[in-house]
Amino acid sequence: MNSQPATNYSTQAPPGGPGGFMAAPRQEMEYLCADCGAKNEIRSREPIRCRECGHRIMYKKRTKRMVQFEAR
Amino acid sequence: MASSSAAASSSRLPQSAYNPRRHVGVHAERVSDVSSTEYPGHYPGEDHSWDLAKFRENLKVEVKRLSQRSVEFDLVGVDASIANAFRRIMIAEIPTIATEHVYVWNNTSVIHDEVLAHRIGLVPLNVPPGMFKYRNPNGVPTDQDTIVFKLNVTCEVDKNTSKEKGAPRKLIHEEVLSGDLEWVPQGEQASVFTGDLPPPAPTNKNIVLAKLRPGQEIDMDLHAIKGVGKDHAKWSPVATASYRLHPLVILNPSKPIPPHLAQKFANCFSPGVVQVGKGGRVSIDERNLRKESMSREVLRHKEFEGSVELKRIRDWFIFTVESEGPYAPQDLFPESIRVMREKIANIRHAAEALLADVDGAPGAVAADGDVEMGGV
Amino acid sequence: MSDPTPKIKILQGALEPDLSAATYQIHDESHTLGNALRWMLMKNPKVEFCGYSVPHPSENHIHMRIQMYDNLSSLDALLQALSNLDDLCITIDEAYQKNLGEGQYERWDEQS
Repeated sequence: MNSQPATNYSTQAPPGGPGGFMAAPRQEMEYLCADCGAKNEIRSREPIRCRECGHRIMYKKRTKRMVQFEAR
Repeated sequence: MASSSAAASSSRLPQSAYNPRRHVGVHAERVSDVSSTEYPGHYPGEDHSWDLAKFRENLKVEVKRLSQRSVEFDLVGVDASIANAFRRIMIAEIPTIATEHVYVWNNTSVIHDEVLAHRIGLVPLNVPPGMFKYRNPNGVPTDQDTIVFKLNVTCEVDKNTSKEKGAPRKLIHEEVLSGDLEWVPQGEQASVFTGDLPPPAPTNKNIVLAKLRPGQEIDMDLHAIKGVGKDHAKWSPVATASYRLHPLVILNPSKPIPPHLAQKFANCFSPGVVQVGKGGRVSIDERNLRKESMSREVLRHKEFEGSVELKRIRDWFIFTVESEGPYAPQDLFPESIRVMREKIANIRHAAEALLADVDGAPGAVAADGDVEMGGV
Repeated sequence: MSDPTPKIKILQGALEPDLSAATYQIHDESHTLGNALRWMLMKNPKVEFCGYSVPHPSENHIHMRIQMYDNLSSLDALLQALSNLDDLCITIDEAYQKNLGEGQYERWDEQS
């Protein structure tokens, strides 16, 4: 068998990882309503309130970055 | 299975089993004569130095029972240190392949990433370890040392079930099973795992890894590498590898069991070990002795004091090995011998180099542990 | 990166210059090999004393102490024991394979 590299992301740091902070284009953060699960965009200085049901608790979404673990 | 076991696994004991030097005493609250004394110089006039021909003559290896996943065999005529070395190697030093790196792209299930990663690591894989190399800790993974799996499942409501009101809702992928791991061939792996060699997969496809609700998703890549059990138990090729010493029950002819107590006496042992004959005569059935649980119940009754001795045979090891992984159960013991010989060869190689150094400068061993060379 | 730990080395301190008594440090080994090797060394009538230890559980090596009669070399005894141990392994393997091949065992069905 050849020594071909398998998938190459084991050593590669995720974009915008520790150190190199990338100034991401400012976009509205999407949150999930804790009550009804609807998506909500919240701008700064806006009341935190679900557009669908008026609930005031929001969840942050999971990161879209890949996270690495050791299976131990 | 129990019905046929008596025929194949038991036979009468050889006379040499009654040699008191081979016996470990089992008493109510202690054991005696545990250590072997068969060393040169221990018994006057007896030579106990290593003799391969004598060892070969006394050695008995007998496979007793075999199933798809476990084996029982007897190893008779070796010291505990040898039997124990093989047992330890089977548990900790026979290599297998297991998931080590988990790359999580998405996991919206209720089970945490690290817990799920740990569970996936413990899933036994069917990959023959001999075909792969150990991963170089600093190197890039290659198709010779890494197997890649993909796990991508989303739970959904089954749209094909009846739309009737009150009909139970069917879910797809409500459970994430080990069978959902999907092998992603790397490099030339696709051409190697063909024909008789099954593609890499978990040995058991029905292990529940996580449970999902509709809309939840798990998406991860898994890298499996070669390792040994002493590093992490997920690399151990066995579920259990253990031995016990062959039990022995010896009746004292000068203090026989009175016939009216015969049944009570027999009930102190595992079924079949003690037989009660005509007129309440008690005898030991040697073919069933290996089944004796050595509960020591008989030692609790005063009326049986002095009429029976419980023993084990010090050099008669009954191994039980349960395979969990790529090896057939009967192949694990030879594999442990292979690993043992590898270790011996390694040390011998190093010791020969040391000897060459010492011969180069007789009697001069430097303070740093290296041997001083001539003229320095 | 060079490997700084040799597989086997002689510990200074309690050492006879002619190696009739020496302690060997064997790297990357444990009770598994230590006890088996100790047993084989003790089977040698020319060995006055042999013992092994795992000095510390988090250090990955064992110590093997060998003392010889008649000022013989402990290193020779060590090599002899290793060779005997290898013979023992071969003998056990042959006996196992022979018995397995005869097929005199009970086969039973066990589902996983």
